[in-house]
Amino acid sequence: MPRLTVLLSRILCFVLLFAFVSCSTSNRLDDYLYCRLNSSPTTLDPALITDVQASVIAAKLFNGLVKLDDRLNVVSDIAERWEVSKDGRTYRFYLKKGFLFSTGREVTAQDFKYSFERILKHATKSPNAWIFDNVAGAKSFREGRTAGVEGFGVIDRYEFEINLTSAFSPFLKMLTMTPASVVPREIVEARGADFASNPSGTGPYVLDSWMPNQQVVLKRNDSYSGGAARLKGIVFRIIPEDLTALTEFELGNIDVLQIPSSAYPKLNNDAKWKPYIESIQGLNTYYLGLNTSRPPLDAPLLRKAISLAVDRKKILETFYEGRGRPAEGPVPDLLRTWGSDKNTKVIGYNPVRAKQIVKEHGLTDTRLTLYVAADQEAVDLAEIIQGYLADAGLTVIIRQLEWSAYKSAINRGEPDMFWLSWWADYPDAENFLFPLFDSANLGPAGNRTRYVNRDVDRLIEQGQHSMDQRQRDRIYQKAEEKIISDAPWIFFWHKTDYVIRQPWVSGFKVYPIYNMDKGMDVQVSRHNN
Amino acid sequence: MILLPLLLGVTFTAFCLLRGLPGDPVYSMVGERATPETIESIRTEIGADKGFAAQYLGYLKLIVSGNFGRSYYSNRDVLSDIAAKLPNTIKLAFAAMAIAVPCGMTAGMVMAYRKGRLSERLVSMISIGGLSLPVFWVGLMAMLIFSLQLKLLPPSGTGGLRFLILPAFVLAVPALSSLARVAAATIEETMGLPYVRTAKAKGLVPMKIAAVHVMKNALIPIVTIIGLDFGSYLSGAVVTETIFGWDGIGRFTMEGIIMRDYPVIMGCIITCTAVFVIVNMLTDILYHYLDPRIRLHDQGR
Repeated sequence: MPRLTVLLSRILCFVLLFAFVSCSTSNRLDDYLYCRLNSSPTTLDPALITDVQASVIAAKLFNGLVKLDDRLNVVSDIAERWEVSKDGRTYRFYLKKGFLFSTGREVTAQDFKYSFERILKHATKSPNAWIFDNVAGAKSFREGRTAGVEGFGVIDRYEFEINLTSAFSPFLKMLTMTPASVVPREIVEARGADFASNPSGTGPYVLDSWMPNQQVVLKRNDSYSGGAARLKGIVFRIIPEDLTALTEFELGNIDVLQIPSSAYPKLNNDAKWKPYIESIQGLNTYYLGLNTSRPPLDAPLLRKAISLAVDRKKILETFYEGRGRPAEGPVPDLLRTWGSDKNTKVIGYNPVRAKQIVKEHGLTDTRLTLYVAADQEAVDLAEIIQGYLADAGLTVIIRQLEWSAYKSAINRGEPDMFWLSWWADYPDAENFLFPLFDSANLGPAGNRTRYVNRDVDRLIEQGQHSMDQRQRDRIYQKAEEKIISDAPWIFFWHKTDYVIRQPWVSGFKVYPIYNMDKGMDVQVSRHNN
Repeated sequence: MILLPLLLGVTFTAFCLLRGLPGDPVYSMVGERATPETIESIRTEIGADKGFAAQYLGYLKLIVSGNFGRSYYSNRDVLSDIAAKLPNTIKLAFAAMAIAVPCGMTAGMVMAYRKGRLSERLVSMISIGGLSLPVFWVGLMAMLIFSLQLKLLPPSGTGGLRFLILPAFVLAVPALSSLARVAAATIEETMGLPYVRTAKAKGLVPMKIAAVHVMKNALIPIVTIIGLDFGSYLSGAVVTETIFGWDGIGRFTMEGIIMRDYPVIMGCIITCTAVFVIVNMLTDILYHYLDPRIRLHDQGR
């Protein structure tokens, strides 16, 4: 008995001591902006980034040759100016002199050559190598036949040239993407695989600390060559639960929060918060993908019937509370440089016609599988779609899969129908056409409905190689019309993003693409001790 | 000694199960615009192109070299990530137990010694409630009340005592409820035994009977329950850790599973198995102190 008592009391002492010693206060840091991420970024190596969380952070740590301004125009970043040859194949960038890495070394043309070749190098395992698919010599470099990419030319210390195999109009916009950032060779090589968790770049902020699943802390890079950011730093707190994040926001522990859709009605109807909600038309398209590669949905008529059967506008207004704009086609209206054409033949809601088609063609009781990822909103929506299609005489079997199982299933073309969205990597209509509808990209490369239409392929590729914007507009408009009438997708909506900020946050803006915010102008005018 | 074959069995079973799950890590790794070439090269890189036996042997070789490999996604060393998260989980488990054990025991005693009275019925009802309320609900309610309304405790985060109280409390609720019920049942049972009657007949003080004669002999099932709960908390409380943003093993495992991050999942399974076995071993040792008839070594009978 005494031995036991001693043992137990020792354990108790240990626990209490442990608890008190580790007790710390959670005061906010002055002039730091507190944001929420719903999951830990996977990597901060720009070459490897494919997730939104990581891009949001990387945008503040790195710079590329060019970036986007508020109106989605390509503007100077490290490149002061650039020239594009008449044939559209040669891009020459003139770098700013004295643009420094956070280590103090100057960025030179050689650094861009290294950073871009690194993305193409097999050993890097970059999922973003497609960005440079059109660069001369990229293919032979990837196949290991050459030691360097001939299309990346270092003219002198401040002049960098990129040669493409053929004119490729979206190329400059693609260079605004996170993977096309410049990284310092000596640090990448010294840190090896750890560069992903301990990166170093040129940006307005540097990584201060990163505790996966807890927080990422950035602090201002005082020697940033693009001027000083107003904040002292940014803390990204990783909070997986929406309701928890909302509680943190209401308590003032988080300054800026992307509004979870479940919380939107509550905040929007609250006079206290309504003035602090900012919205932005997102560059995205939400769609129901139809597997065109096998019966029964290889029949365009049945696809059209499905389009006719679902009242998407009503779903958007009621279920989705109008948090988006109806989609006329795949390309978001912000990128429809040809203007929202009244002549675009949208397949509207016509349940009678839908029923008629199904009946006439003896398709009644066709069983269709609909896959959704395990997310309550998607599941609810699937049930709504199921209801509409039941009215048209079609039987829908919903299968709810956990995210990674869902992803493999749709990439392999398992379901007849699936619910998915596409978000812009760069602001060009091509980004919503080539990966999604060109037959060169069947399956995991983006065209998950396995849609094949040679005319559409030809048009999309023509548009890529044309350097004349007006001509491109005409071509893309034509391609989009064909896609709409073939109906490989049921186009639902372009979702609007809502972000709420605290009253003490100023200079804050929401951007249509996640990597546009470099965190330069935002300010926090709240001080607590 | 049993640890080694057990871990081998566990790795094998987990390895089989993971490979049998639908979902392929490659598709989650390659992003939205993946060429067949990229997919192939990543498949080769993580060894998914090799046969099952080769993959398993490769993994065993890796563990034997004292390593769990690197995460597919973050490329971070799994072992050092686990080493960073395990202390958080241990902290949370200890804190939960520090609440559950005294409260549960008290409740159990109330239920046993005050049988038939109002207090017994009240405690019994609460303990049933504690057992049946889902953790996520208790968690969210506790957060709404103590963080949002009363502003006493931070709603989420990993850190010191202030951050620990809410998740520990939520985790303790089901444990203390089951503990109370088991304690009540065993105490009652022990009270009916002849030696307790003898003790009463001797005219001992009720307090002494309760503490020495009853409690000490009722402790074995109670310690078993505590050991089991403690062991399972040490292998991570996924829901609680997610709600309160606590950076522990449970959340780490869960995220690994969602992303099919095999090195992370395997590393977590092995660690948690080891922890669970060790806790059970400690419980067994404790049995010996509680009841000297239980021997630590079978000394040649």
